[in-house]
Amino acid sequence: MTPTAQFDLNQTLAALADPTRRALLTRLSRGEARVTDLARPFAVSLNSVSKHIRYLERAGLVHRRRAGREHFLSLDPEPLDEATAWMNRQRTLWTARLDALDELLRTEASQAPPRARMKGKRR
Amino acid sequence: MTTEAPIKVRVTRRFNAPPELVFNAWLDPEKARKFLYATDEGEMVRVEIDPQVGGRYSIVERRDGQDVEHTGEYLEIDRPRRLVFTLKVPLYSEEADRITVEIEPADGGSELTLVHETSPEWADQAGDGWKMILDSQASVLA
Repeated sequence: MTPTAQFDLNQTLAALADPTRRALLTRLSRGEARVTDLARPFAVSLNSVSKHIRYLERAGLVHRRRAGREHFLSLDPEPLDEATAWMNRQRTLWTARLDALDELLRTEASQAPPRARMKGKRR
Repeated sequence: MTTEAPIKVRVTRRFNAPPELVFNAWLDPEKARKFLYATDEGEMVRVEIDPQVGGRYSIVERRDGQDVEHTGEYLEIDRPRRLVFTLKVPLYSEEADRITVEIEPADGGSELTLVHETSPEWADQAGDGWKMILDSQASVLA
């Protein structure tokens, strides 16, 4: 993993750490929304929601489009793919390492004296 | 200390070997060099393991002429059931991840479960809900 990717991943995860921000993303996953419409269902001030939206924009998870006086927000799932990619990469690495461990243990077992192999207590 | 890390990767694996042999391979330099952080293309140049709680390891493999170090500290050693250590690759990041290896006897062999967690410093303030984040990712994107 490059340092840049690590930084992006941290920012993505930090953005996801808040329940309000997750709810905003869930709402945006259903489609583009106006800032005011997006804020309405939340029991917090518009100002507070705006802060969360800016956080999501900085993390690259939300994009803003202006049409006249209206601001439209939409979800960009690409940073989430980064997190998924990290998980897949680690899973692949560990699977390969455990394959190698399995091979190592099988080789040792086949070389062990029969008695020790049966007991499974060879040191 | 973080109790709940932001993202976890879990890998489960069955071995014919008993738990003791599986466990010992992680702390024995001669065995670790053959599977832990070893790649087919790389050349292992250094394997140092201080197998005690608070002890460190350093495993260096030369890949394409570049020395790549995997290093960390042992946090828990409960032979032959549980091993917890940190993992850092200074070449790429100064942040340490956390690896938990648990080994149970199973059908004459053993079953190993490995959990790899990232634990960036801000995770302490992350609050609840981390586990569901990536579970819910699919539905977020649906």
